[in-house]
Amino acid sequence: MNRMRVTLVTTGLLGSVAALGAFIAFSRPASVTEAASNDLVVQLCDNETTITLAADTPRNRENGAEIADALMSQWKRKHPESTWVEEEYEKHVIVPPADNRHLIGKSQGHTYARITERDIATWKRETVKFVADGSRVFHSADALGSEIAVSCDMCHPDAANTHPETYPKFQEQLGRMALLRDMINWCIEHPVRGTPLAADDPKMRGLEAYILAQRTGEKLQYGKR
Amino acid sequence: MPPRFKSIETRYYEQRADLWRGLERLDRRGFLKVSLAAMGAALANGVLHYPHSFQPISIAYADTGEPFRIAYISDSHLYDKQVNDRFVRQLLRAVDDINALDPAPDFVLYGGDLAQLGQAKELELGAQILKNVKHPVRMMVGEHDWYFDLGEKWRDLFGAPTYSFDHKGVHFVVLNSVVEKDFWTQRGMSPMERMQTVAGLDNGIQSRFEVGEAQRNWLKNDLSALSSDTPLVVFSHSPLYKYYRPWNFWTDDAEQVQAILAPFHSVVVIHGHTHQLLTNRIGNINFHGMLSTAWPWPYAPEGLPALTVQMNRPNPFDPNDGLGDGYAEIHPRGLVDKVYNLWNRNPIEVSRAYMSSGGKKDVPPTPSLVSY
Amino acid sequence: MTRRKNRAARSLMLAALLVVTGSLPAHGFGPHRKDMPAGQLASHGALSADAQMQQLAALLPERDVTRPPPAVDPAMWALIVPTDNAMTPERIALGRKLYFETRLSADNTVACATCHDVSRGFTDQRPTSEGVHDQLGRRNAPTTMNAFFYEDVFLDGRVPSLEEQAKFPAINPVEGGLPDHAAMVGAIAGDAGYRKLFRDAYHSEPNLDDLVRAIAAFERTLVFLDTPFDRFLAGDPAAISEKAQRGWQLFNGKARCMSCHMMNPSNPLGTDNRFHNIGVAARTQNFEGLARKALAALGEEGGTQAVDELALQTDLSELGRFMVTKDRADIGAFKTQGLRNVGITAPYMHDGSMRTLWDVMDHYNKGGEANPFLDGGIEPLALSPDEIDAVVEFMFTLTDQRFAKQNEEERAAQKKIAGERRPFRDDDLAFRRVLPFERRVEPSPRED
Repeated sequence: MNRMRVTLVTTGLLGSVAALGAFIAFSRPASVTEAASNDLVVQLCDNETTITLAADTPRNRENGAEIADALMSQWKRKHPESTWVEEEYEKHVIVPPADNRHLIGKSQGHTYARITERDIATWKRETVKFVADGSRVFHSADALGSEIAVSCDMCHPDAANTHPETYPKFQEQLGRMALLRDMINWCIEHPVRGTPLAADDPKMRGLEAYILAQRTGEKLQYGKR
Repeated sequence: MPPRFKSIETRYYEQRADLWRGLERLDRRGFLKVSLAAMGAALANGVLHYPHSFQPISIAYADTGEPFRIAYISDSHLYDKQVNDRFVRQLLRAVDDINALDPAPDFVLYGGDLAQLGQAKELELGAQILKNVKHPVRMMVGEHDWYFDLGEKWRDLFGAPTYSFDHKGVHFVVLNSVVEKDFWTQRGMSPMERMQTVAGLDNGIQSRFEVGEAQRNWLKNDLSALSSDTPLVVFSHSPLYKYYRPWNFWTDDAEQVQAILAPFHSVVVIHGHTHQLLTNRIGNINFHGMLSTAWPWPYAPEGLPALTVQMNRPNPFDPNDGLGDGYAEIHPRGLVDKVYNLWNRNPIEVSRAYMSSGGKKDVPPTPSLVSY
Repeated sequence: MTRRKNRAARSLMLAALLVVTGSLPAHGFGPHRKDMPAGQLASHGALSADAQMQQLAALLPERDVTRPPPAVDPAMWALIVPTDNAMTPERIALGRKLYFETRLSADNTVACATCHDVSRGFTDQRPTSEGVHDQLGRRNAPTTMNAFFYEDVFLDGRVPSLEEQAKFPAINPVEGGLPDHAAMVGAIAGDAGYRKLFRDAYHSEPNLDDLVRAIAAFERTLVFLDTPFDRFLAGDPAAISEKAQRGWQLFNGKARCMSCHMMNPSNPLGTDNRFHNIGVAARTQNFEGLARKALAALGEEGGTQAVDELALQTDLSELGRFMVTKDRADIGAFKTQGLRNVGITAPYMHDGSMRTLWDVMDHYNKGGEANPFLDGGIEPLALSPDEIDAVVEFMFTLTDQRFAKQNEEERAAQKKIAGERRPFRDDDLAFRRVLPFERRVEPSPRED
C-alpha cells in the first residue's frame, strides 16, 4: 500500500497558469477507496477535493504549481460564486476606476481630508465589484430576463456604441426625452425582449455602472445623436 | 524547326518571352513601343486588356466572357425556434431574398455561424431552412458552429469544413479560419462552457483565431497546381487579416496565409464574423465582409481598414437594421463587385473599380450616422 | 342672393338625385355615412358647403389668428408658419372660401371640402375618395385636422408643404379634373368677390401661388388638439379610463407604437414624419415588378405631377414613397399617419382597407404582411385580446372633445363590426407560432 495522501494548503500557490494537460485529465474527485495501490492522491485543505497522480511523480516546484492549479480549478467549479469578480475580469476587459492613491496621507489636519490606504482599497474594491456585477448582467441573457436569449453584448461588445455621454437627449425610439436608464430599459424591452427593470433595481444600477465605466474618457455631450 | 500550328499557350509564352527580352534592353521610347506591341498582341488574341496598368497578358483561363454571380447568407446565429423566433424569421427573410434574385446566382455561400451555441437542434434547424434555397449552397463553418462539439455535428450535416472547387475558371477555397488554441482543457471546461466562452465576442479567455499550420499546408498544396494567373476567391469566416484583436476580428497567422496567397494576381477574400460592411486591401488581396442576418456589430474603436466606408449606424428599433444578405459579381480576371443587400436601405456596392483605384473611384456613399 | 342660393340648393339636390339613381360607385357612399339632413346633400356624398361652414363656425372659437394656437408650442408654430404666408384674418377668410369652392373642379361638384368634409372628420370616411364624374381614386383621404404638423404632405410625402399640396387635387383627372393651373385661377378670377378677397389678403390679383397660400393659411386654423388624453396628460387622472391608461402604457411599451407614432409636446400629432412599409400594400402586390414598371413610367420626366397622377390612378400607387425618392428602402412605404382624431377618420391605411381600429391592431399584432421590403421594426407583438382592446380604447381618447358624440357613435359602430369579423387577425403569427417569412419560404408550416 504505497498510497500516500498529501494535503496541500493552496493559498500561496494560486494564480499559476502552467499548461496542465495530462494532470487535469485526472483531476476528478477521487474517493479514497478507489485509488490503485501505487497512486498518489493529493487532497485540498477542504478535505474533499482531490487529484490522483502516479506515485513516482517528482515532487518539485513546477509539479507542485500545476497540481495546485488543477485542484483550484476543481474547487472553483464547485464554488462558482467565490471568485466571480476575478472571473468576470478574466473574461471581460473592464476599464479600471480612477486611481486615488495620490490622496493618501495629506490631510492638512482636516479630519474629512484624512485618507488612508485602507480607504483607497475599500473604494476600489467596492467600485470594482459593482462594475463587475454590471458586466455580469450585461453579458447574461438570463440575468436580463431575455425571452429570446439575447444579451447586451451581442450589439454592444465591451459596451461599444452605448453613448452614455450623450444623455439626456430626445430618444427617437422612446419618442421622448430620455436618460441612459430609460434607454437601457427600452433596449431590455425590445431588442432583448425582457421585462424592464425598476430604476433602483441593482441590475439596472449595475448596467449603468458598467456602461459608464467602459466609456471612461469620452467627452460629455448631451443631446448628441 | 518550329511547329506550324502553335497552341494558344505556346504563342502566349513566346510573346511574353519576347516582351521581357525587349524590356531588358529599353530606353523610354523603346519601352513605349514594346508596350504598344504587347497591347496589340493582347487585342489580337481577344484578351481583355486594362490599359491603365501595364500587365503581362494573361490567357491562362478560358473564361474571358460574362461575369457570374454568387450570393451569400451569413451569421444567422440560430437558437431553437421556441427560444428565439426573431433570428429564424431573419434567416427566412434572407432565403426569400436570395430565391428572388434575378439573375439567379450560380451558387450561394453560407458564411458561417449558422447556429448560436453549436447545438444539434440549431444546426438541424438551419440546415432545414437552407434546403429552401433554390440554388446550390456551399457551407462554411464559423466558431459558433464548432466549439460545442468541435465540429462533429457540422461534419455530419455538411461535410469537411475545408475544401476547394473550381467554377468557371475561378478557383474557390473554403477555409476553417476559426481554429483556436486549446484554452478549455486546462480550465476543465465543459463543452457548453467552452462554447459560451467562444460565443462572447468580448470574452478574453478564448484564444485568437488562426488558420493553423495543418490548413496552411493544405492550402499551399491545394494551390500548388495552379498558375499564378488563376483567379482565387477564398471564403473564410474570420477576416484573414488583423482588424481588432479584443473582438477576434483577427487571424493570428494572417501574414502567413497572405503570403501563401500573395503570388496570385487576383485574390479576393470574402469573410463573415464581423457583421458589418468591411473592405480592405493588402497587397494584391481584396477583402470583403458579409452582412449578418441576426445582429450587427459596431465598428471597432480602432484598426478599421482605410478602404472601409462605414454603413450607417443601425437603429435598434428595427432589429433588421444593418443586416441583410448579398451577392458578388465575379468578373473575368477574378475582380469582384461586392453588393451588400442591406435590409430596408439602399444596397451598397463596393465595386472592382473602387478596389483597384485604391478607393478613389466609385466610392460608396458616406454614412450620416457613424459608430462612436 | 337668396335666389342664387335656392338655385344652388336645387342643383345640388338634382346632383344628389343623379348620383343616387345613376351610377353609384361600387362601395356606395361609405359604410357609415350619417343620416344627413334632407336637402343638405352635396355631390359625392359630402355635406353641402353651407352646412359645413355652419358647423365649422361652431367648432372654431374666435381667436387672434396672428398668435400661435393655445395647443401648439410657440417655438414649433414659428417653424410651421412659412415666412411668406403669415396668418391674417383676411387670408384665412379667402382660404376658407376657396376650401369650399366647387368651381375648382371640371364639373363644379368637387371642392376640398368634398373629401375633407367638416362633418366627416375633415375626411370623407370612405376607403378611397371620389372625384369628378364619380371616379374613384386609389388612396384614402387623410384628415385636414392638424395637418399643418406634417413635414411632407400626401401619403407619400411628394410635396413639402400645405401650399404645394393645394396645387394638385384640382388638376388631377380623378379629383378636380381641371386641365391645368391656369384653369384653377380662371375659375375664380372673374369673380369680383374673389378679387377683393385676394387684394385684402395678398394685395394681388387672383393667382395660383396666393390661392394655395390662402388655402394653407385656412388649414392652419384647423387645430383640434383638445382631447381627453391631453387632459389626462395635464394632470386629470379621471380624464380617460383605466383601460385607456393601460393602452397608453402599451402604446409606449409592448405594442411599440410610440417609435413611429411619436407624440410629444413639440410634435403632438402622432407621427415621426417618416415613411414605412408596414406591408399593407403587400397583400396583393408584386413589388419588384411594380418597381421596375415605375422606373420606366417616370423615366426622364418624372416630376411631382407625374407622380401625383400615377399615384391616384394606377397600380403604381402601391409603391408609395418609392415613386418620390426612388430609394429601395421606400418601396411600398407610406407616411406614418398622425393619430389625433383617429377615432373619426376611419377607414384606415393608405388604401382605406381597414374598417376598424381593431383591424389595424390585428395587422400590427401579426407583424404586418411579410414582403421583401417590410420595415424591420414591424414585428409580431403577441398582444392579447385584452391588450388590443386597451390600445384601441386609448386611441379613441385622441379625438377632440368637440367631436365627442361622433367619436362615441363611431366607437360603438366599430366595436359592433369588430365583434362580427376580424379579417386581419392571425394568432399563429401574432404569438410567433408561425413566422411571417415562413409562409413565403416554406409554404407548408412545419409541425414543431
